[in-house]
Amino acid sequence: MNRFDLLNKIQNILKDNLVICNIGLPSQELYKINDQPNFFYMLGSMGLSSSIGLGLSLSQNKNVISIDGDGSVLMNMNTLATIGNRAPPNYTLLIIDNGSYGSTGDQKTFTDENTSLKDVAIGAGCKNVVECSGDETVNELSKAIEDQNNSYIIISKINSGNIKIDPIPLNPITIRDRFRKFIGIVKYL
Amino acid sequence: MKISKKIIDNLKKGGVDFYLSVPCKLLANMIDILEKDNDVYYSAVPREEEGMGICAGAYLGNKFPCIMMQNTGIGNSVNAIVSLLQLYQMPVVFLISYRGTPGEPVGAQGGMAKITEDILQTLRIPMLHCSSEDDLEKISTFSKHAKVVESPVAILCDFNLMKDDK
Repeated sequence: MNRFDLLNKIQNILKDNLVICNIGLPSQELYKINDQPNFFYMLGSMGLSSSIGLGLSLSQNKNVISIDGDGSVLMNMNTLATIGNRAPPNYTLLIIDNGSYGSTGDQKTFTDENTSLKDVAIGAGCKNVVECSGDETVNELSKAIEDQNNSYIIISKINSGNIKIDPIPLNPITIRDRFRKFIGIVKYL
Repeated sequence: MKISKKIIDNLKKGGVDFYLSVPCKLLANMIDILEKDNDVYYSAVPREEEGMGICAGAYLGNKFPCIMMQNTGIGNSVNAIVSLLQLYQMPVVFLISYRGTPGEPVGAQGGMAKITEDILQTLRIPMLHCSSEDDLEKISTFSKHAKVVESPVAILCDFNLMKDDK
């Protein structure tokens, strides 16, 4: 299973929640599968999906899923400590760990060698850290969303590999405003 | 404490209700004040760039965020400022302790001090430079300005203004 297959499998869970999606292919694939106003596509700032989702979950009560990658989490590992100490129960971080930098040509990341993001997250103070296969991810993600008392980090171990895809045609302000309209903040659209 | 209290009061008057900090000894009193304030959210964060991401999320969730940091933190955050906060036009207040300005005892702080305003200028980030107590009165209007122009803004607090705020 690759990232596109996984995103297809979890799309029914994503469509009912606020989703922050990582820059590059993850966002492009999610857009192609089933574009929704409650999906915030990152067009820059690699590494910050986990942090944006954390800020959003601290600021309002709807469930938030940050979709991140192993390469991006490796770039911003300090935020796992912030999550381990501050994440509220409406926050779930889904790390799609395919052991490679998919958007830049599938170069291997350190999770393909010695690094375990599960161990890093636990060491950083995160309480509910689940590492699972792509097939198990639907179930684990559903459980995480249904649990109103705890935040989760789910590390979905899948294969690398990408589909041929176009950039997202939406401009950043459109992404921003339709997302905030979904939450109920923007009234003028 | 008087200066720090004035800064926080003016930020709150400007609508800021979500605060992060990467510590600096010049920010210590403000951190103390915020930790005891139940009306606003406050947390420390390990790194400024990550703080920019958390502020972006807080803005999406209808908060008006501020990140407090040394001027060195701007150097850690340039890509996040440009390709997140500015790309999506998100108002965030940077409250910056301006290390390396006159009064600073640590010579090594001078390097970032020399280029801090140049970086902010290059990024087209509106600046409010506070060197006296009177300047602090401008903070609330300046913070509101961030929301009007949908942009990050920077408040620079000189070393000498902050150093005797016991």
